Amino acid sequence: MDPAAGSGTLWAGLRRRSANGEGGRGTRRVRVRCRRGPPGCRAPGTMEPAEAEFLAEKELVTIVPNFSLDRIHLIGGDLGPFNPGLPVEVPVWLAINLKQRQKCRLIPPEWMDVEKLEEIRDQERKEDTFTPMPSPYYMELTKLLLNYASDNIPKADEIRTLVKDTWDTRIAKLRLSADSFVKQQEAHAKLDNLTLMEINTIGTFLTQALDHMYKLRTNLQPGESAQSQDF
Amino acid sequence: MSEAYFPVGPGLGLEENFLSLDDILMSQEKLPGRAESTLPRLAFALGQGAGAGSGDSIPEGSKLEIPLWLAKGLHDSKRRIISMELPKIYKEAWRTVFSADANVVDLHKMGPYYYGFGSQLLNFDNPENPEIAQTILQTFISRFRRIMDSSQNAYNEDTSALVARLDELERALFRAGQKGLNDFQCWEKGQASQITASSLVQNYGKRKFTDMDG
Repeated sequence: MDPAAGSGTLWAGLRRRSANGEGGRGTRRVRVRCRRGPPGCRAPGTMEPAEAEFLAEKELVTIVPNFSLDRIHLIGGDLGPFNPGLPVEVPVWLAINLKQRQKCRLIPPEWMDVEKLEEIRDQERKEDTFTPMPSPYYMELTKLLLNYASDNIPKADEIRTLVKDTWDTRIAKLRLSADSFVKQQEAHAKLDNLTLMEINTIGTFLTQALDHMYKLRTNLQPGESAQSQDF
Repeated sequence: MSEAYFPVGPGLGLEENFLSLDDILMSQEKLPGRAESTLPRLAFALGQGAGAGSGDSIPEGSKLEIPLWLAKGLHDSKRRIISMELPKIYKEAWRTVFSADANVVDLHKMGPYYYGFGSQLLNFDNPENPEIAQTILQTFISRFRRIMDSSQNAYNEDTSALVARLDELERALFRAGQKGLNDFQCWEKGQASQITASSLVQNYGKRKFTDMDG
């Protein structure tokens, strides 16, 4: 099975879409503003988990292939050359595909390690605000890598538990800040270091609630009087 | 993600959303009022049924219960046809209950459209309007936490006990929170990429492919 045989047609045609909501790596700032959205639309800025996973698959990860191939030129950039036994950086979508075809071995990213994750988890529990995460897609990458390549990752179960603990802590903090945001009726909040997945789980609910609150608040100021009909 | 129909939400301000089903249902709720002038031949429509044959008129000053849509249309400060009063949950006594602790109130029983109806009541000139608006807002804010917690934490459980005391607006919010949670859990289990038969088609009772021959 020569991987080069299919590559010219299959891979060269792939193009990574960049949907709305893609931010830069590193800090993810979220401005939550209480405003009136158009009626009947899904809240903008939120997407399904599957879409967030799609964006996460663009991140680079190191693999060690067991085949050889020259540089391939894709629309998004070049990948390449693959030599057996030499590590190379590829996007996650390719790494998962190769792994499923048993053509490579995955090397876990350097943050996916028990001590490092314990440190991150403890840091998250200590701070009141959100700490920067090692990757803006840590949840998606954990799920993908641990589902498809758990044999290449040492102590996979512990890592899964640690990431889940960190996630739970962050979601709890998010809810707390949403609650205080609503209670104090602020118009503007800034939350640093949130990842896309976290925003999506609470996004629809929060923006709808804030829309309702905004409308109820404008009732307090009876500006222009309603039109009256004269018969 | 791909929905065939985007429901129009209720307009919570002084104007309803014309296309919103929630607003249409909400405007059916009745308010107490009085007839300010005699209403000839309307006893069959508005009267309480006591001694009403068609052709009677409603005497001046009699108490009526009118749906909101009719009350809004007939309300006019110049031609005094009817005058409206507040339903009891928007009055002083209940307002203090709400400000004490809004979480214990069963808003579904109190009229399932508390927020929407309350916002519409601000259309009628009433000296208590600012307090009503403030109470509605504060009630929403204090109940927000409980809705958020219960919707985001109840996965795969029977939620009927949780939503029983919520009014329609809060139920919609609850469903949105549930959806976020369910989508995430479903994705985490890996079901997001599985193709499942649509619920619309499952009941058609199509014959399976193997049954078609012979």
